[in-house]
Amino acid sequence: MVERTAQPARLGRGFWVVTAVLAALAVAAIVFCYVFPLERYLPAAIVTARQVDDLIRFMSATGSALYIFVAGYLIYFAIAFRAKASDAPDAIGVQIHDNRKLEFWWTVIPLLFVLVLSVVSVRIWYEILLEPENGLVVEAIGHQFYFSFRYPDINGEVTDEMHIPLNVPVTLNLTSADVIHGFWVPAMRLKNDTVPGLVTTIRFTPRLAGRYPIICTQFCGVEHSEMDKQVLVIEDKASFDRWYKGWQQKNARASNALPGASGQAIPLQGGDVAAGKALFSQKCTACHKLAPFNQTLVGPGLEAVLHDPAHPDLVNGKAANPADVASILENGYTGSMGAMPSASSNGLSPQDIANLVAFLNTLK
Amino acid sequence: MAVAAIHSGGIAEHIHPEPQGFVRRYVFSLDHKIIGIQYIITAFVFFMLSGLLAEAIRTQLLNPNGGFVAPGTYNEVYSVHGSAMVWLVIIPLLTGGFGNLVFPLQIGARDVAFPWLNMLSFWIFPVAGLMLFSSFLMGAPTAGWMEYPPISLQGAAGTSMWCAAIFLVGVSSTITGINFVVTILKMRAPGMTFTRMPLFVWGQFATAPLLMIATTALAAALAALFIERQFGVPFFDPTKGGSPVMWQHMFWFYSHPAVYIMILPAFGIISEVLPTFARKPVFGYKLIAFSSMAIALLGFMVWAHHMFTSGLAPFLQLPFMILTYIIGVPTGIKIFSWTATLFGGKIHYSTAMLFAIGFIGLFTIGGITGIFLAAIPFDLHVHGTYFIVAHLHYVLVGGSLMGVFAGMYYWFPKMSGRLLNETLGKIHFWLFFIGFNCTFLPMHWLGMLGMPREVATYDPQFTFWNRFESVASYLMTFAILIFFVNVLWSIRNGRRSGPNPWGARTLEWQIPSPPHYYNFKHVPTVYGLPYDFSQPLPYKGLEEELTDSPPPVAAGAH
Repeated sequence: MVERTAQPARLGRGFWVVTAVLAALAVAAIVFCYVFPLERYLPAAIVTARQVDDLIRFMSATGSALYIFVAGYLIYFAIAFRAKASDAPDAIGVQIHDNRKLEFWWTVIPLLFVLVLSVVSVRIWYEILLEPENGLVVEAIGHQFYFSFRYPDINGEVTDEMHIPLNVPVTLNLTSADVIHGFWVPAMRLKNDTVPGLVTTIRFTPRLAGRYPIICTQFCGVEHSEMDKQVLVIEDKASFDRWYKGWQQKNARASNALPGASGQAIPLQGGDVAAGKALFSQKCTACHKLAPFNQTLVGPGLEAVLHDPAHPDLVNGKAANPADVASILENGYTGSMGAMPSASSNGLSPQDIANLVAFLNTLK
Repeated sequence: MAVAAIHSGGIAEHIHPEPQGFVRRYVFSLDHKIIGIQYIITAFVFFMLSGLLAEAIRTQLLNPNGGFVAPGTYNEVYSVHGSAMVWLVIIPLLTGGFGNLVFPLQIGARDVAFPWLNMLSFWIFPVAGLMLFSSFLMGAPTAGWMEYPPISLQGAAGTSMWCAAIFLVGVSSTITGINFVVTILKMRAPGMTFTRMPLFVWGQFATAPLLMIATTALAAALAALFIERQFGVPFFDPTKGGSPVMWQHMFWFYSHPAVYIMILPAFGIISEVLPTFARKPVFGYKLIAFSSMAIALLGFMVWAHHMFTSGLAPFLQLPFMILTYIIGVPTGIKIFSWTATLFGGKIHYSTAMLFAIGFIGLFTIGGITGIFLAAIPFDLHVHGTYFIVAHLHYVLVGGSLMGVFAGMYYWFPKMSGRLLNETLGKIHFWLFFIGFNCTFLPMHWLGMLGMPREVATYDPQFTFWNRFESVASYLMTFAILIFFVNVLWSIRNGRRSGPNPWGARTLEWQIPSPPHYYNFKHVPTVYGLPYDFSQPLPYKGLEEELTDSPPPVAAGAH
């Protein structure tokens, strides 16, 4: 009978040559990951984008080094230990079952690496979280199928581009008027979903002027693919101020409520106070108390909503007025105070809305 | 021996007479092997359909402005592609298919614990599959396989059909899970202790509890979505007080473990194929077995890493990041152990072995990018982009599907008594391997640069790589066609395999191919691990299996 047991396997010269080659390849890959000009393909528009790039470099360097060793040994073993024509047909390999030392180390080293990676990624994540909080506040609202933007001193919504000044910290509040969208600016290496009924915040500091596409990353309907046409413009303070003034003038008469589905103002003449009061107790009291603004049930308290100077502006910039209240009743509201359903889901007719506004107007 | 006596006098020797007649034998069969083959055939039919959908996707993306189908249709196509591939192809193939077919033989059982439940669980599956595909008739779901509300609340009537279909598949999965857990716990042959179980059995043993426990969360989520869509009870609609993020929690509480449902059995297949063709024991048996259990357990604690952009509080996100990193450790242990298994072997390159080695190479890429994605700052950049598409296909195609193909080439003789053609097999492997990498590798780069997923049209700067990927995907499809031709040809004309064409040492190869209805003439006794090629087989009681001695007496009249 031909000897079928193979010789005890030892780590021969071939193994060490391969190891040296793989080590050289791994070093080359690490160098490549660190010198690769990522910013040439994708500019780093905000301060933390460069830190995310550092993380990408660290992970792709270590990841590709690891992969080169795994795949390299895999290919080497697969070739070196193939059955040859000269082997007996029933030849078998070396019957190694395990190696405690080896298994110990390839458990412990990955665990240590997990520790290092955790420290590295948590540090960079904290840089993103700890961006200044007192910056310019901008609101981005997802719609099917565009984003609109709100600024502190511009009435209504800005609907074409989002402008921000260079080097000024920005607090961006994200929400949605309909379904979930994703607000992504690849050049920022940052995104967040816009979730209806929820306001999420990202903060960043622009560092590089330019025009950067804003892309929706959460499927939002049939025209989702087209929701990548808007841009984020980072520009110097003077250009930003010009743009800002332009929108202030353009939107001087705009309402701060959400834009209407019908687009037509509801006639408020002839609202019946008594009917409005009855309707209020049926439809509104689940979420709103007749109490000062800060006594929130689900939504804010509505005592003296139209006549209380201490009542905060319903939406940016303007004291509450009957037309705004009617518009919110009709179209709903999504913003920092939460979300309110629209007339279509509440079952409110235009006359109901007029009655409710008449009732709210009597609260003083 | 008391244990042996209980087994041989009790459950294991309880033999029913073999059913006669085509319907009871091959249609409404109670035999785990037939049910396994039924699962495999049905799943491959659905695989062909959803593969065609995949090619529709790639054809649409040949041009930046699309044009092959309308955007609305395109959304239906990729939503059904994803749902069908996950729930009708990969999960049924790896659990109901190979699980049913192989592991009862490997533990020396005559069948699974609950054959009637097994038949029920199979017959739910094609019904659910037809329901899912029939949703095209009434407007299929469009919001991807994740169907996040509120957009899924706006979907056409087919979205409700989708809920019902996936719910049913879930019922089928849950039943299979219960069945497998009980079978592995109670029906092992005498002497088959836990540390003597083949690694494929360990893979199923780690998967079955996931099927049982995680699927219930999905069922609850689907029921809620269905009720909200049909009857207006607001679980998820924020304008009526619902929470859209709650769906994401419930969905991912299932769907992350589902990733392990789709990969742990494939790990098991690889752990069987490698030692057989390397002619040596799998390296680090215990660590491979226990790391499967560790992955299954950790798999329940990481779901929110799919939700880093959904507005969770930062302190909630942190543990999910770290725990996901930690899953890399048991996964790494497996990869290192498989690589070390080749060391010092006498490797025979059958097609099954090629797929197994290819699996290690490709799955490792998916595993490493998985660790990348767990890093919150990186995920905030690439979440919802083609980077994700690349990552998940490296895991589910480069991993699970390569595992399925390894299993097909490996166990086809056990199913049919014939070998698959090895020449066609090797052509299949190389074309598939090349086509797959050319299709999915460039997607990492596209995602990093700014191409979102689930889009029917895209920025023209990405045209070159998209065309490249589409052409490569046709190569992949061609390779799969070769596979189907191979199966259809070999089932009639393939070389006869005999009981053990590979010289494998697990129990299923010590009995005829295909096995008899009752599996074993006498339930064997097991004395050790199967994998040491220098030792005699660690089984007793198999002497008559390959002889003409009469079958065991049926004692099923009751």
